[in-house]
Amino acid sequence: MKSLRFPRSPKVIVGMVILGFFIFLMIFGPYLAPYSPDNTNFAPLLTPSAHHWFGTTSLGQDIFSQTLVGARATMVVAGVAGLAATMLSILIGISAGYIGGFTDDGLSLMSNVFLALPGLPLLIVIDSYLPVNSRSNSLIIGLIISLTGWAWGARVLRAQTMSLRNRDFVESARIIGEKRMRIMFSEIAPNLLPILASSLLFTILYSIGAYVTLAYIGLTSTSVWNWGTMLFWAQSNNAPLSGEWYWFIPPGMCIALVGTSLALLNFGIDEFINPRLRAGGLSGRQRRRLGMPRRQRLGFTPVVRSVTTAPRVSVQTQNPVTP
Amino acid sequence: MRLIGRRLALYALTFWVAITVNFLLPHLMPGNPIQTMIGKLTGTVTPAEIRSIRLAFGGGLNQSLLSQYFTYIGQLLHGNLGFSFTNSKNVSSILVQYVPWTICLIGVATFISFLIGTVTGALLGWTRGSRLDSLIPTATFFQATPYFFLASVMLLFFASKLGWFPPQDGYNIYALNLHPGWTWEFVLSALRYGQLPLISIVLSSVAGWMLGMRNMMVTMVAEDFVLMSIAMGLPKRKVIWAAARNAVLPSIANLSLAIGLVVSGALLVELVFNYPGVGDLLLNAISSEDYPLIQGIFLVITLAVLAANLLADLVYLLLDPRTRTEVAP
Amino acid sequence: MTTESKRVDDVVPNELPPQALPTTTYGPITATTHSEATMGERILDVRNFSVDYGWGNNAVRAVDDVDVHLDRSKVLGIAGESGSGKSTLVYAITRLLRAPGVIKGGEARFNLGSDDEGEHVIDLVNASERELRSVRWSSISIVLQSALSALNPVVRVGSQFEQVLKTHRKHMSKDERRARAAALLAMVGLDEDRLDRFPHELSGGQRQRIMIALALTLDPQLVIMDEPTTALDVVTQREIISELFELRAQFGFAMIFITHDLSLLTELADEIVVMYAGALVERATARELYEAPRHPYSLGLLNSFPPMHGERTELSGIPGSPPDLAHLPTGCRFHPRCPYAMERCTNETPPLVEIQGTDRSVACWLHVGDPAVAVPVELSRVATGATTVDPAKDVTR
Repeated sequence: MKSLRFPRSPKVIVGMVILGFFIFLMIFGPYLAPYSPDNTNFAPLLTPSAHHWFGTTSLGQDIFSQTLVGARATMVVAGVAGLAATMLSILIGISAGYIGGFTDDGLSLMSNVFLALPGLPLLIVIDSYLPVNSRSNSLIIGLIISLTGWAWGARVLRAQTMSLRNRDFVESARIIGEKRMRIMFSEIAPNLLPILASSLLFTILYSIGAYVTLAYIGLTSTSVWNWGTMLFWAQSNNAPLSGEWYWFIPPGMCIALVGTSLALLNFGIDEFINPRLRAGGLSGRQRRRLGMPRRQRLGFTPVVRSVTTAPRVSVQTQNPVTP
Repeated sequence: MRLIGRRLALYALTFWVAITVNFLLPHLMPGNPIQTMIGKLTGTVTPAEIRSIRLAFGGGLNQSLLSQYFTYIGQLLHGNLGFSFTNSKNVSSILVQYVPWTICLIGVATFISFLIGTVTGALLGWTRGSRLDSLIPTATFFQATPYFFLASVMLLFFASKLGWFPPQDGYNIYALNLHPGWTWEFVLSALRYGQLPLISIVLSSVAGWMLGMRNMMVTMVAEDFVLMSIAMGLPKRKVIWAAARNAVLPSIANLSLAIGLVVSGALLVELVFNYPGVGDLLLNAISSEDYPLIQGIFLVITLAVLAANLLADLVYLLLDPRTRTEVAP
Repeated sequence: MTTESKRVDDVVPNELPPQALPTTTYGPITATTHSEATMGERILDVRNFSVDYGWGNNAVRAVDDVDVHLDRSKVLGIAGESGSGKSTLVYAITRLLRAPGVIKGGEARFNLGSDDEGEHVIDLVNASERELRSVRWSSISIVLQSALSALNPVVRVGSQFEQVLKTHRKHMSKDERRARAAALLAMVGLDEDRLDRFPHELSGGQRQRIMIALALTLDPQLVIMDEPTTALDVVTQREIISELFELRAQFGFAMIFITHDLSLLTELADEIVVMYAGALVERATARELYEAPRHPYSLGLLNSFPPMHGERTELSGIPGSPPDLAHLPTGCRFHPRCPYAMERCTNETPPLVEIQGTDRSVACWLHVGDPAVAVPVELSRVATGATTVDPAKDVTR
């Protein structure tokens, strides 16, 4: 397995910083909130001020507190759903790719069907039939989300497993007589690590979107505070039309930022998998200093003469070779 | 051609799964939602309508699950999607009214988004290290933003505050004598009102196309045949075209994933703008627990998505000759 | 095929006379006359050529101060292991080297030919993109190693010919282009219907033939072959090579043949240069190199490949592997693997020197005429016209 060098790409570092910040918020948010998010004692629809950093809702609740508290539910459910979906895709994808035959046919068919079914509408339909008290159970919602989000990862993992299956080190493991399960999980899985990581990030990204969307439509319980629910209330009160930007922009920005950080991390992994994607190495300024053209143009190899050239020994004639 | 047959079979199977899921869900959920719903409705709706609703779920309570299933499928084949009690109309007739708006919006948006995204992505992939690369983090941000959030922000700034676009509805519903139909005034009004939703959807989805195309383009530029084109002295635009032609293939192959996201997002954008499409309809159906309508919308959306997938598969077949012959000597 | 001298243009006539300079594509080449003497019969003149990979502190020298020369209609073979810099050198000369390659020094001049105005020479290192495009394919073409990846997989083979002809021969009609492509295919022994196929539908040998036909489309003066047969099986290899040389005999283009298979070159090339770790270590005619190698590395290479003809010999190979270009050995680059290494080799890098009385050069401390150094027998053979070696006779060519 390739050694994992610490990524130096600025994209990845920014992504990690942002994600780190929100993970911190996820853990400590509820403790840091100045007021309870349900507290309706304040004047409604206040614009941001020193007392209420993000203003108040139409019911007089502090938006800042809601945002801080909402971080936990949003990210935990998304994280759990993403993890569950990735585990499903690992199980199905690797098995399909390695075992082959009818197992592969069946599992592939299942993944293709789930891939073709539009995820969110399906989610909406399932959720709308849930009895109301179940809707407050975030775990159930998370599980349902994972049921719609595993198919893509499974397909990618299956393709990778199939290409790895024929490699020599797997062959030798098989010849030695290692059990199938063991080969799958101790030989193949480590080589899939970058793709797994990418798949996990992608599914968490999807899960956040799905969870927030369900909350926005009102299909999750409003007793659990999350960013989606905040947006639900904002929309129900026509906040965009009324110009109450402070109500829906904070939670929306949080979602966008978490999503962006995940996507940036995904970039880092992509560049790790495919080194060609890495940035060219030097910035424009550095190149100009070295005397090179601003961009490497294909078919026009740059010429940068070195300042000193090693003195070349001129042609000498030597004594004839004696046999 | 065999390939198309296989894809068709897959989509048929998927649709069948969707139908079955649609059927099983209400019957399997704890608390028997069908009973509850019918119980609530008795007295507010005519018996004929109640029977229609029942049929949408597969018939009487005294039948076995399996026979209810066949009744259900039978009804579907006749185009009977049930009766929507919130709208007092058959589901099919409601859908016929609303679905064209959604399809137009999503269709045009996807087309524009794909075009802009792949062209920009191709250029980004080709000119690496130029100033254009700063577009990438911006694009990433837009990709991570939920569709409805971006729509809300646009509504706030461009419609509410700046007043450049109409903030709600699909056409000017307040204008006298303006009714849906193929009149010039109506079409103009519809176009005007559709701008902001369209821009919103395009902005949200373009990043995905762009980044995917860029990555593929970078891979292509490193391929030998691109170097060959340059060595052959071909002009640059022909070289870029040759590379892009190859790089665009995975984007089309992954269309199924992209379409699913775009459709879901677009439904929510319709919500924000009160656009007379299926999205708004769905929300109302959910809040009033109008299950026949929810089911009907789900089926129609699934059908549309599968049709789009099939179209994408056809296009891919045309563009990549390697799929046509399986033989490699 | 007939043996009468024929130009590709004669196969399907077009308006340009065979020896015309490329002017139709992007405008005339600005003739850059060098202060040195005219090139005459020489078609490619490369001096002091150096190429780096990377920049600044991370730069690695891939080609170090190399000279190569090629005369009209002759074949130059460049031999060496992977990483020796042979491909890097040739791609850099034609400015096709990919990032992170950078040309660090030297010059490369290509002789396009003479007409009433005088000799037209293009300075490849200083040429503009437009000028480069003028000579690309019309004067210099390339055959890449792997034809499957060198042909655009989504377009038909005929379309590749179309594009080249459309770009460089604007006056040709569609039918004329098709006819020319068909004629080119016929030259390499393929049917016209191959034009309508996609690359993945053809066999490896067919694809390579198409690459050769493509390379000859504009009747170039120089064709560069980058390991053209390495990806093929031995039988197809021989077929293609012999077809190639028939074509060369017919049309008289010069060739640069890059390969790691030295024994192949000894049969095909006029002159061979051997590269090791970015430096040129020996230059000689093919016969001289085959019968009387001077550099220990050349000897090792010859002993690594079974000769195509002649009696069976024992293969010995060269122990060790090529050095990491970022961490070259001190002194002579080859000394860690050289069976004849002396102490001097560890400390001083031997320069490339001409051997007196001959037209060959070698970079080895064994051959600088130091009386204290005993040159091993195998490195002091004398090449003769006959296949047997007779040390008593003088060097004759």
